[in-house]
Amino acid sequence: MALLEIRGLRKAFERGGTPIVALENLNLSVGEGEFVTIVGPSGCGKSTLLHILGGFEELSGGEVLVNGRAIGGPGRDRGMVFQEFALFPWRTALGNVLWGVELEGRPRGEALEVAERYLEMVGLLPFKDLYPHELSGGMKQRVALARVLAFDPRVLLMDEPFGSLDAQTRELMQEELNRIWEQTGKTVLFVTHDIEEAIYLGDRVLVLTARPGTIKEVVEIKLPRPRDIQVKKQEPYIAYRNAIWDLLREEVLKSRLDVPGVAAETP
Amino acid sequence: MKRRHGRVWRAAQSYASLLGLVVLWQGLYGLGWLPEYLLGPSVIVAQFGEMVTSGELFGHLRSSLVRSYAGFLAGSLLGIGLGLLSGISRRAEDLFNPLISLTYPIPKIAILPVLIVWFGIGDASKILVILLACFYPVFINAYYGARAVDRLHVWSALNMGATPAQIFRRIVLPTALPQIFSGLRVALALSFILLFSAEMIGASSGLGFLISFAEANLRFDIMFVAIVTIAILGFANDRLLVYVRQRALTWEARRR
Amino acid sequence: MSSGPAPGKREKARAAGRVGVQGRGWSRARKATSCLAILGTWEVVAHSGWVSPLLLPSIAGVLQEAARMAGNLSLFMHVGHSVYRALVGFLLATVVGVIIGFLMGRFRAAELALERFFAVTYPVPKISIYPILVFIFGLGNVSKIALIFLECVYPMVINTYYGTRAVNPLLFWAARNMGAGPAVIFRRVVIPAAAPHIFSGIRIAMPIALVLVVITEMIGSNNGLGYLIIYSSASFRSRDMFVGILGIGVVGFIFDNLLVWARRRLIFWERETRFVA
Repeated sequence: MALLEIRGLRKAFERGGTPIVALENLNLSVGEGEFVTIVGPSGCGKSTLLHILGGFEELSGGEVLVNGRAIGGPGRDRGMVFQEFALFPWRTALGNVLWGVELEGRPRGEALEVAERYLEMVGLLPFKDLYPHELSGGMKQRVALARVLAFDPRVLLMDEPFGSLDAQTRELMQEELNRIWEQTGKTVLFVTHDIEEAIYLGDRVLVLTARPGTIKEVVEIKLPRPRDIQVKKQEPYIAYRNAIWDLLREEVLKSRLDVPGVAAETP
Repeated sequence: MKRRHGRVWRAAQSYASLLGLVVLWQGLYGLGWLPEYLLGPSVIVAQFGEMVTSGELFGHLRSSLVRSYAGFLAGSLLGIGLGLLSGISRRAEDLFNPLISLTYPIPKIAILPVLIVWFGIGDASKILVILLACFYPVFINAYYGARAVDRLHVWSALNMGATPAQIFRRIVLPTALPQIFSGLRVALALSFILLFSAEMIGASSGLGFLISFAEANLRFDIMFVAIVTIAILGFANDRLLVYVRQRALTWEARRR
Repeated sequence: MSSGPAPGKREKARAAGRVGVQGRGWSRARKATSCLAILGTWEVVAHSGWVSPLLLPSIAGVLQEAARMAGNLSLFMHVGHSVYRALVGFLLATVVGVIIGFLMGRFRAAELALERFFAVTYPVPKISIYPILVFIFGLGNVSKIALIFLECVYPMVINTYYGTRAVNPLLFWAARNMGAGPAVIFRRVVIPAAAPHIFSGIRIAMPIALVLVVITEMIGSNNGLGYLIIYSSASFRSRDMFVGILGIGVVGFIFDNLLVWARRRLIFWERETRFVA
């Protein structure tokens, strides 16, 4: 049975009196340990989808099941990583990771051990006492990743986590995430607007349509695992990239014809 | 070595204006060019020493401090509590904010005579007027501080399974704290303005009273001692607050 | 983002941080309730005879008295004196403060000479030297205006100083590149770029001016709203006392709204958070 099951999902909201349908009849089933990446034209509701899966936003129709149970609000079974990191500026790197573990009610010593283990996994243990503003963008995102991994969710929801990083750091973080995923075997839903990233990381790439967002196509990525960054230079990879690019191009052009200026993702 | 020297030199330069002012003042006084109500620093320091050793100054200092601290602390705590509450609860916001914005434009010192009529000329009316004056800036800053909470922070906490109480303590409070301190700083300055004016208007002890007493008896030396004490008090308390702020907001201080 | 109000960060926070979010109608009703309840209680208590009208005059009585004083113009006389003192002191402080702050922010020598002086003496309550000002300028308008000036000039200097220093140096370079001299830079670059900071200073200084005009009129004057309040209080005319409080409240309200209006007109490119219910 699938770990995550989305059936007939619909999301509508109102902005300035005009009703907007962000997502329509979206169906998806994700198996345990699968890495699913999601691409789509901007404004198609990719982020909204993740926010709903995280339980932060209400859905307007359909249902979302995790392990066969409907979700009701946020929960520790689904860990969310935001593009903006959302680190608490008043806590150190370690403090940020620690809180989520402490909330489990574990004794302090044990919690500390867990937090440090995950900081080590993302390679930031030497920087554990620095505050977020003392860290670079890539380091911040590593802390955010460690913070979520540390409370051991079954599903990782990642909302363009590398979107604000520079190209080099981005590539480094992709490799890093790949390694961590191999190591932990987590189920991941990963939203991005970068096609190369989507192909390199994903077992499947979902291409969403322009608003109202629904699944246009699912592309199975049959590249061998574990993947090396070198894979990006090889023929099959480039074929995937071109195919997905064509799919996306159609949608982007469609959304351009839409009302200009209403390209924001969330209400 | 050279840089260090440069820093000392710069510090000396920046304080030179203050020092120069005092020297100029003393010089003019020594030459007898100042009117009789402007005494020189040397005379003031001598009188200051005398009033410290006789203990006279401390009595007034204590009266003033009790009034200002009581009013400042009570007003600030009330402002923080209700301001944060208004910031997180729509219901509290609807209840308090109209009242606050209705009464905010009234300078609180104007209410002092009413308080005197109600509670007498003693400490109660002075403490209450200081409490009122401190309440408003703290309330408004705490309110905005709580409103500035980052949605993603709340989501992250919810994601980890935090309860509303934990979110309040770990997210709302730290987010609002820098702004609360800005409010406290304004409140502190106001508390001293109100304290000394209330004491000048009607009191039988305190530094404000000392000023009006000295003025009435043409004891300019005593007047200046009171003024200098007030200056030191205002300055020292402000530094104290800045210090507490730095201790409380280490994460923010390191950003500088 | 092009149409409708931009969804600000605050609104988002509002949606997430709220405990009980209900309909707008309810909210509006509650907003009116608290004010009406307080005013209503006041009126009922005042008419009940539980407390002496010396302690708590009825609102109707206060308004009646205000109307009477407006009729014989004495209310306007007091308001006029207070507004005149507050405004002159405040405007002087604004002009002088902006110039000093600009000089400190732009010129190293001015910064060295003045920065410490203003930083150290800022938290000193200037009210303490009012008696000296009275000796120098007499008990009339000048000493009051001088004190208001002194207290208001600090926030203006400090805010303009920080505002000037916060101006993007590229703007200075761009202006110089176009051949602008210091005076042009001041008018065309510093004033607009530092304007939000300057306005923050004004919003601190304005209420202080009103506080001080009331205080100085209470300490020594024979007109103005502060005088009206303290004189009525001493002669147990509590209606007049509340008229004075109401008067200064209305003046404060009008001034504050004028400032907000002016800020919106002048600094249209930047939004301001404002305390509104």
